[in-house]
Amino acid sequence: MIQIAAQTKTLICIGTGGVGKTTMAASMGVGFASEGKKVLVLTIDPSKRLAQALGIKMDGDPHKVEIKKSKSGGELWACVVNHEKTFEYFIRHAASQFAEGKKVSEEKLAQLLDNKLYHQLSGRLSGSQEFTSLITLNRYVTSGEYDLVILDTPPSQHTWNFLRAPEKISALFNEGIAKWFREADSGRTSLFKKIVNAGTSQVLKALELLTGSQFIKELSAFFQAIQKWQKPLEEYILNCHRLLISAQTEFILVTALDPSRLSEAQKLSREIRTQGYKLTTVVINRIPAWLSTPVDTDSKRIKNLVTYYQSLEIDLQSRLAQFKTQLKVYKCYELRQNTEDVHSLQKNFDELVSLN
Amino acid sequence: MVKKAHFITGKGGVGKSLISAVLARHLSQTPDHGSEQILLAELNEHSFFQDYLKLKKISYKPSKWVEDVDVSQWSPQDCLKEYALHLLKVETLYKLFFENPVSRSLIQVAPGLQELALLGKVTSSPRSHGPTMKYDQLVIDSFATGHFLSLFRAPAAMAEAIQFGPMGEQSRGIDKWIRDHDFARLHIVTLAEELPITETIELYQTLKKEFGLTAAVYLNKMTGLEKSDLAKLKPEVSEIMAGIIENERLAVKKLTDAKIKFIELPLISSLDPEVLISKLTEVFAAKKVHA
Repeated sequence: MIQIAAQTKTLICIGTGGVGKTTMAASMGVGFASEGKKVLVLTIDPSKRLAQALGIKMDGDPHKVEIKKSKSGGELWACVVNHEKTFEYFIRHAASQFAEGKKVSEEKLAQLLDNKLYHQLSGRLSGSQEFTSLITLNRYVTSGEYDLVILDTPPSQHTWNFLRAPEKISALFNEGIAKWFREADSGRTSLFKKIVNAGTSQVLKALELLTGSQFIKELSAFFQAIQKWQKPLEEYILNCHRLLISAQTEFILVTALDPSRLSEAQKLSREIRTQGYKLTTVVINRIPAWLSTPVDTDSKRIKNLVTYYQSLEIDLQSRLAQFKTQLKVYKCYELRQNTEDVHSLQKNFDELVSLN
Repeated sequence: MVKKAHFITGKGGVGKSLISAVLARHLSQTPDHGSEQILLAELNEHSFFQDYLKLKKISYKPSKWVEDVDVSQWSPQDCLKEYALHLLKVETLYKLFFENPVSRSLIQVAPGLQELALLGKVTSSPRSHGPTMKYDQLVIDSFATGHFLSLFRAPAAMAEAIQFGPMGEQSRGIDKWIRDHDFARLHIVTLAEELPITETIELYQTLKKEFGLTAAVYLNKMTGLEKSDLAKLKPEVSEIMAGIIENERLAVKKLTDAKIKFIELPLISSLDPEVLISKLTEVFAAKKVHA
């Protein structure tokens, strides 16, 4: 079991790929729901097995998951972040904020939603995943419908991409850039302004030389389309950032029994804390269950494996002290394959062992 | 002049970086290649190799790792900067562009630009476009599965969105070369566990279907345990070991059923990167890995 602060409304699971973040997020979802909380687990890319186990639908909406034992009020909901839908929600939300109750111009919306660069941004290209999961998180946390929202972050090499998402994306909606392109395209600039903007136009020329005029055209069309909603979009992004540094948000770092993962986790935990995020907990995942049992064998192959795990254990011990000074440390035994269902997720949660 | 570019991908945590280093060293030692110059490049934002290979410093500018193998860290910003400087030639114009806060943030977020910058650098030799590289082969420790597909899909997506002008033309050129089997070689690293194997099979088939490329697959950390090894073990340990045997059997079966050729790599008990790299390089040589 994991202890979190009573005030915590948001749990963000971070860590490098392949450490079992998604399963850990799901286990905590099941665990806290059985303790009586109404929990939503937001995940990015669940394995088929996990999706089946939880009955998750890929439509981007929260769905209720059946759990057996639950104190009164405990409910588990799960939702897979849908990037395109979320981006559209983000734009529509900002547009309706701006319209203040009046009807949103569908034509203006369509202009933006049809823009080719917008499509790239909301679709296949990297970097936008981090942002859409953050919007989804903010959306459900502020909805007030859940006692706890758990986010499984995208599998990027570093959590920095995720934490920097608001900053990066707000640069895109930044008035400075937008102004540039709007004026570049309008052609109605006065001579005086032209002189002032000589630097800008030089920059645009350089960009055009590198990318071509069609790219510039698409860019300015994009910025013209979002011009109206600049303020509410920026406001929304700012709120996302506020959520990340809120006192009601806890970060949980998931790592695995492996020297390079552990040293990355050490670095990450140091940096993340100095930047003001509330990292409280480290889970060392995927520890073989028999590690503590002595193994007597003649088999060379078993000996090789035992030596390997023993060196991993020694390496872990040498690093634990640093984690323990500031964080709650838990270890989690390797989940047996083929048994990922609500029951085994609950067991996984119950069997988390505190090392402090 | 770069003749081949090797991309290493796979699910997070399967050992991509280690296998990249091993492949780089293997390629530099393959006898029929003479003395080929290899560049091992990582795309990580925070360097993995600097600590792992105990380097003094890693940067965009290559530095020596071992005989015939240099190592560097590529960021999209560095690739773009180098390319722009090469193209714009005029230092002041370049400075005006890159040292402007607005364009700096634009480069960070403009969709597709980062991917194009990286792949543009990789394919600069065959396209005869951009600054020259003195290496014969590149070994690129690339992103994990999903992010890797985004990287590879970017040139075609950009070529579709921006059909005219230099950007469209470059995108098409880059797209052509990353689909060329004589130039672009893909390597997927995986483990004998359910999730990595499923992901590997899907990725292998997607790469074949979308890009016409056949990836080499490495099944990493194989214990090679057999039922006879379990004698004398306590039941709780024996049960877990039997699970490992079953996972390895299933992994081999699933890959074979999907008609995927793969190379098995043994679990090395040492945690020391130097030992790991040299032992696995020996395995590569013994198995005559031809890349």
